[in-house]
Amino acid sequence: MSVPFSGTLRRSGGIVSAIGKQLKSVNLKGVKRITVQFDPFAENVKSTREFLFLLSTPKVVQTNPKCVVKSDIVCDRKPASIKFSLIDSAQEQAKVKEIRFNSDNLNTLELLQLCNKHVSSLAPPEEVTNKVLTKAEKQKLGGGAGGGKKAPKKK
Amino acid sequence: MANLVQKTLPLTKTSTPALQFLRFRGKINIQRPKAPHYERARVIAVTQPKYPEAPKSKTCFQSRTERFQQQVENPYNDIIAREVRNWLEHSQLVAIFHLNSITSDEIFKVRVDLHKQNLHLKSYGRKIIGEAVKDTRYEAIMPLFHSNHCIVFSPDQQRVSTLLKITRRVPQMVLLGGIVEKTLLSRNELMAYAQMPGLQAAQAQLVQTLNQAAGNLVQQLQAHQNSFVQVLDVHAKGEAKDSTQESKEETKE
Repeated sequence: MSVPFSGTLRRSGGIVSAIGKQLKSVNLKGVKRITVQFDPFAENVKSTREFLFLLSTPKVVQTNPKCVVKSDIVCDRKPASIKFSLIDSAQEQAKVKEIRFNSDNLNTLELLQLCNKHVSSLAPPEEVTNKVLTKAEKQKLGGGAGGGKKAPKKK
Repeated sequence: MANLVQKTLPLTKTSTPALQFLRFRGKINIQRPKAPHYERARVIAVTQPKYPEAPKSKTCFQSRTERFQQQVENPYNDIIAREVRNWLEHSQLVAIFHLNSITSDEIFKVRVDLHKQNLHLKSYGRKIIGEAVKDTRYEAIMPLFHSNHCIVFSPDQQRVSTLLKITRRVPQMVLLGGIVEKTLLSRNELMAYAQMPGLQAAQAQLVQTLNQAAGNLVQQLQAHQNSFVQVLDVHAKGEAKDSTQESKEETKE
């Protein structure tokens, strides 16, 4: 009796590639301001600091250059938190003004997953701007209309 | 002429032995070797090396741990740890920053600006810093190095305000804490230290506060005299004004 195949065909790349995959789908278009608050001497701040670093990478910043990432260092051993202040359209969609993550007991991958689940989904869809037509496309569009005109001219 | 000829001892004369070449242009045979003589084969069999057999039932994790255990720590790490310890002990000001994503050009600009103010920007790995501060009084700064960081050293402690001024222009550098004159300070304490006036000004303030107690007593004792003198002054001024007014009226008339 042969056992049906179970398992993966490809091996996972580990936590680093999982983080990279999540990072690719981070979209901050719906966020006005991000405040990362942590006490550097507290425990379990590593994931918050890593998340802050990942938010400052050029690719993530490019999704919304207007979004400000502010880091708030406190000295009273408060548990770390990350606050996303949403823009108006996102606020209407989510019915909340801001989203807060208590990142004390979350690791970097979980933070990114939650961010993608709650924040990236609130990004407003992109508007299609005027597309510049190439010559071939223009001919195709105008070919149907100008084909009748052209034929008598050739004769 | 005879004494110019070099005299050599008879047995010291050497000559190279006659060379007879075994092979000439022919290709040597290594692919089909001759079967050795029995005696030779016996010696070869006895002198074959015996290697220990690899255990067949070891898991992948066991072999990996063994491989890592066999890795020797790079002695260069010790040298760098010593350098870190040197910097820590000989600088009056040590500031530790969290470093966000930054281009090399920008960090170079910051490094140059800091260097002009005798502030040295450095960055080391967490393991090396751990080795450097273990069992020293600086062990408390270890939690600051979990993520991307940089350290600024300065041999004199009056540079805190200049350091803050320069790093305020750099949004990617986030001040976490520092050590000033062997005292660990948090971020707020460090900023308060920058606002404080220098040592001389602080000493002058202390002297003023000490003198204030005695000065207060003197002031209380002299209060009545001073107020009397002031009243007299006002009265005298008023009289002088009246007399000048009268003299003016007379001259007008």
